[in-house]
Amino acid sequence: MKKENVKWFIILHIIILIISISGICSKTAAQYDFLSTKWILFYGLVICILGFYAIAWQQVIKHLPLIVAYANKAVTTIWGLIWGFLIFHEQITPLKVVGAAVVIIGVYFVVTGDEDVTGKNQETKEVEKNA
Amino acid sequence: MLKYALIMLSGTFIASCSQIILKKAAEKEYPSKIAEYMNPMVIGAYIFFFGASLCSVLGYKGVPLSIGPILEATGYIWVAILGKIFLSEKISPRKALGLVIIILGIVIAAFGV
Repeated sequence: MKKENVKWFIILHIIILIISISGICSKTAAQYDFLSTKWILFYGLVICILGFYAIAWQQVIKHLPLIVAYANKAVTTIWGLIWGFLIFHEQITPLKVVGAAVVIIGVYFVVTGDEDVTGKNQETKEVEKNA
Repeated sequence: MLKYALIMLSGTFIASCSQIILKKAAEKEYPSKIAEYMNPMVIGAYIFFFGASLCSVLGYKGVPLSIGPILEATGYIWVAILGKIFLSEKISPRKALGLVIIILGIVIAAFGV
């Protein structure tokens, strides 16, 4: 892997980590009364993170293939397990871990099953075929 | 918990709808850069997206954080189905297999709660 790609791969995972934090904010907001000050504060953080994600994601997919970005985004399921355990004292059961892993495999199949995201469109395939 | 899980799943469906609307809007020609963003479809899509995030917060009242992102993976399924209906996008056998695996993963995780 090129040095530049490694850099963007690390940036991608930092962004994924930040996206996973929006889950913590959502869960925290849910513990307060609807439209109370703290609810608004944490929901506001969720919106801010989603805004950051919209901008940051565009930058990442300029430097990494979509397939890499989308397949790696499924890692948020693992972060959900970790944050749930560390912050909200939820249990990590074997079935939850297996379920998350199966979902990640499924996401990989979905993104690799879409020829548009492999970076090979019909035109390039035709060129390759004729070469 | 089922009620809250359904709220969260509805949010994922709404978010998927907003993605399809954004994609539809992106296919159109606009007279200016501002018009690309400030048009009823794009604004509507973001209102949908806002509603989806609200569903997520409401859902987390009863859904554990460890399950939330797993439930949100249903977005891949909705985007594939809606993409086929409204954008005539193909669902390849490999993609269909992936969607089935995602559903399987969600069911397995649900049994672990």
